[in-house]
Amino acid sequence: MREAAEGSRGFDQTSRYRPRYALMVPTTGLALVTRGLRKSYGARRALDGLDLTVPTGVVYGFLGPNGAGKTTTMRLLTGLLHPDAGSIELLGQPFSRGDRTRLFEVGALVESPSFYPYLSGRQNLRVLAAAGAPVPDGRIEDLLELVGLGDRAKDKVSGYSLGMKQRLGIAGALLSDPRLLLLDEPANGLDPAGIVAMRETLRRLAGEGKTVFVSSHLLAEVRVLADVVGIIAAGKLVREGTLDSMLRDQGVVRVRIPRASESQARALLERLATVDAATGTGDEDAWFAVHVEPSRAGDVNRLLAESHIYASALESGTDLEDLFLQLTSGGEPSGEGGFGRIASPANGPDAEA
Amino acid sequence: MRIFVAGLRKMVGRPASFVSVALLVGLLGLILLASATVGQQDDSPRGRAAAQALLTFPGAYDIILSFLFGLGGLVAVIYGAAIAGSEWSWGTLKNAVARGESRARYMLGTFGAIVVMVAVGLALSFGLGVLLALLAATIAGVSTSGVSDPDTLARLPAMAARGWFAVVEQAALGYAIATLARSQLAGIGAGIAFYFGEGFATIFLPDIIKYMPFAVARASVATEGSSGRFGGGAGAVAALPADTALVLVGVWLVGALAVTVLFTERAEITG
Repeated sequence: MREAAEGSRGFDQTSRYRPRYALMVPTTGLALVTRGLRKSYGARRALDGLDLTVPTGVVYGFLGPNGAGKTTTMRLLTGLLHPDAGSIELLGQPFSRGDRTRLFEVGALVESPSFYPYLSGRQNLRVLAAAGAPVPDGRIEDLLELVGLGDRAKDKVSGYSLGMKQRLGIAGALLSDPRLLLLDEPANGLDPAGIVAMRETLRRLAGEGKTVFVSSHLLAEVRVLADVVGIIAAGKLVREGTLDSMLRDQGVVRVRIPRASESQARALLERLATVDAATGTGDEDAWFAVHVEPSRAGDVNRLLAESHIYASALESGTDLEDLFLQLTSGGEPSGEGGFGRIASPANGPDAEA
Repeated sequence: MRIFVAGLRKMVGRPASFVSVALLVGLLGLILLASATVGQQDDSPRGRAAAQALLTFPGAYDIILSFLFGLGGLVAVIYGAAIAGSEWSWGTLKNAVARGESRARYMLGTFGAIVVMVAVGLALSFGLGVLLALLAATIAGVSTSGVSDPDTLARLPAMAARGWFAVVEQAALGYAIATLARSQLAGIGAGIAFYFGEGFATIFLPDIIKYMPFAVARASVATEGSSGRFGGGAGAVAALPADTALVLVGVWLVGALAVTVLFTERAEITG
């Protein structure tokens, strides 16, 4: 019953939490930079020259399929692993094996939240606060309220749900009022209200000048949360920038025209932009994919109409999912846990026979 | 200091701390109460006398300490392994390192808390053991007048300190083994195997094993008539002199902590 009540609670937006410990932070510059970061586990290369550039004061979405190198990156950024090659800069300062104090201004939630199961949520935060940067009095209580665990703070963590542990993990990451927050899949286990509240909290932190680096494979979550996105595949950054610019650059307008006008239409469209080979067979209309910003669909249509080629259908736009799939696997699902495709009996060799 | 205090906070709340003391006191109580029963009911006068001797003070002090430093060593190995292993298995070491904490300081501070917990656990077990021995002696009808024997009471602190040091060394071994194993269960299993393995190896390699960590721990607390009585294996075989053994206990303790710190400093934390 109590669990159910907890489930409907979000982060407490009206808590006593205030940015009382905030440092004077620059609103320009880079919060996190990696150059040529490499890391292998035995023969398997997890990171293959990763170059990240994370501006200060933004929510940065670090996207990639399973096994792309997201968690390895997080471990390197928090000093849990040491890179084979390459460099890391945290908050404008080089970070390597001997620079652990750089992490005093960094809060992190790496992989699943880890706690002593026999201690309460409050005791766990107290124990955690003993490590690293000093934590001011009252901070723990503020954070417990912030993440909506105020009334469960005395309960043992072994009795917490996954979502509650996740909230406690986020509270742990915020203990030292970090200038840079590194969160690995922070929405894991949170209920919808919790996700919305967490998103608002992270946006507010970014609004205060802090930098939030969120690793995720949840495209929808990143889309609504992040200002800047980096997409990683096979250990390399394949695209980095604002979501708007990425979607614009990766935009496509698809147009359907009669097969009889195919060659004329192609010649016209190629004056405008790159055009993929027509799809469709036989007497079917041909589909052309024209690589222009989605907002220029009208230009495509006008160009064809001026030559008396009338499109029977026009589609425009690119969503993040398309973009993600294009960049990470050439349009095919892949990664560590890529699912294979099972041929439908109707289309398989047996059906043809 | 903060890590040390946090370590104490973690261990005070940990069920393993209470279970360890309860195990020691429970087994000691069973032995003492069984002795009381035998001392009271055994048909053979020789058997009765032997059982009553266990309960007769001041000799009972030696029996209690021998038990605590013998079986307590095994419990300490398991406890040290559980504490270090859980830091890896539960991912809590990862949390501390990601906050910028020094790995060496974290492991040493946490071990400092173990040192205090061992002292508290031994003191508690000893106190309860004496109470149980007095109870058992009363049941068996044995005089308890020797409980305040001044000579014994005078040497108790030194004996207790040596024993505490030996048990701490064994906790450090468990701590180091679990750190190398990076796992609570593997650390406990390997610690127990090492403890008994060394005892068995004494049969074949007594001249080498007497320098090994558990053998020197037993030898360092050996008193007349108590050597290795409750230890794991052949504790009395070819034992070193107690003072020499005590020095080697210190060497093994420092060595175990050095291994722990060096391994943790260099480890890649992936769990």
